[in-house]
Amino acid sequence: MLFVNTLIALLLLAGCLFLVGGAVGILRMPDFYTRLHAASLLDTTALICLLGAAILYVLTQHPDLNGVITSLKIILIAVFVFITSPTATHAIVDAGMRAGGKPWTRKNEEKQI
Amino acid sequence: MKKLALILCLFAGGLLLVNAHHLPMWGDPASPASLHVSPFYIENAYEHTQAPNMVAVVLADYRSYDTMFEAAVVLTAGLACFFLLRTKGRKQIGPQYYRHIPTGVTLRIEEGGKLPPEDSKVFRPIDTLWTPFDPIIRTTCRCLIPFLQIYSLYVLAHGHYSPGGGFQAGVVLGATIILLAISRNLKTAIHRMNERVTALFSIIGVAIFAGTGTLCLLLGMDFLNYDILAPFLLSDTVMARSHSILIVEIGVTMAVMAVMVWIYYNLSSAGQQDEGL
Repeated sequence: MLFVNTLIALLLLAGCLFLVGGAVGILRMPDFYTRLHAASLLDTTALICLLGAAILYVLTQHPDLNGVITSLKIILIAVFVFITSPTATHAIVDAGMRAGGKPWTRKNEEKQI
Repeated sequence: MKKLALILCLFAGGLLLVNAHHLPMWGDPASPASLHVSPFYIENAYEHTQAPNMVAVVLADYRSYDTMFEAAVVLTAGLACFFLLRTKGRKQIGPQYYRHIPTGVTLRIEEGGKLPPEDSKVFRPIDTLWTPFDPIIRTTCRCLIPFLQIYSLYVLAHGHYSPGGGFQAGVVLGATIILLAISRNLKTAIHRMNERVTALFSIIGVAIFAGTGTLCLLLGMDFLNYDILAPFLLSDTVMARSHSILIVEIGVTMAVMAVMVWIYYNLSSAGQQDEGL
């Protein structure tokens, strides 16, 4: 029991750290594409950790059919986020490319959008 | 000026924090909100309507005047958007000019001529650099839209038992049409659901709600008192209330869905409803 609780706490902590990292990435990265990269990747990772903690918590608190059904619903949330989040990032990057934004490199550092 | 704003923010936040402990505890049975009206709802909601979700009962039965006018407000927002933004579609005589957004080419169409579909192969020779619309976004939206629509119907039908109801279902249903318009283009969405349908649906939705109330009034009960509808719904008075909540929620769903789509059509194309985003 203690082991599972520690695991849940660690997962929650990791999720929060990833979210903070994503926020710092959005603020500090040099251009549009790298900011988007930080936001999308770290948010998805944080979501895995947080939902994993939620599933573990539900299964330990309610080790019966209701708990299993609830954790299946949480897994469904994760599946939908896995489909939609990369697509949204892809669409935003696509719009950025169409608008003519050049990716940041050390050479064209002055010409960033 | 920035320092003044900071001081004001801190002062206002501090004032709220200082006074926060005067608020009653969450769920305190002695707080004013829990003394008078809430116990009546909590004790009687299930007996009156046989619907376990108390929120739906309060929303669509005890306080249905409120909800009816909320639906009317939504309809008013759609109408205001329509009257402010919609430009009159004038019938042009002679050749028309049409700007094809993906390629940025302006086409001259002779009178009576028809425009080929937005992404047909006709346009490909015009611009060799043009890549067709993204298949990834399209496929994702194509996979998601049916599930979202089924889910919205579930939210509507299951509103008696779990969180949900007319407004939420309408929002999800309207979002699917807007998703279609975003992933393809405005023409495709308007082709599926044109402006007349959105206007009709939003008005019919409010009319279902108000009509249910008026029917009660005509049969000799109070406005929106669903007891009297029992013979029409083939049930006793308690279940009649339960069924009437569903009827009313269907009206709300139709109104919210149609108004959302209608506002999107007008906003995204600045009232032109031809090219859009």
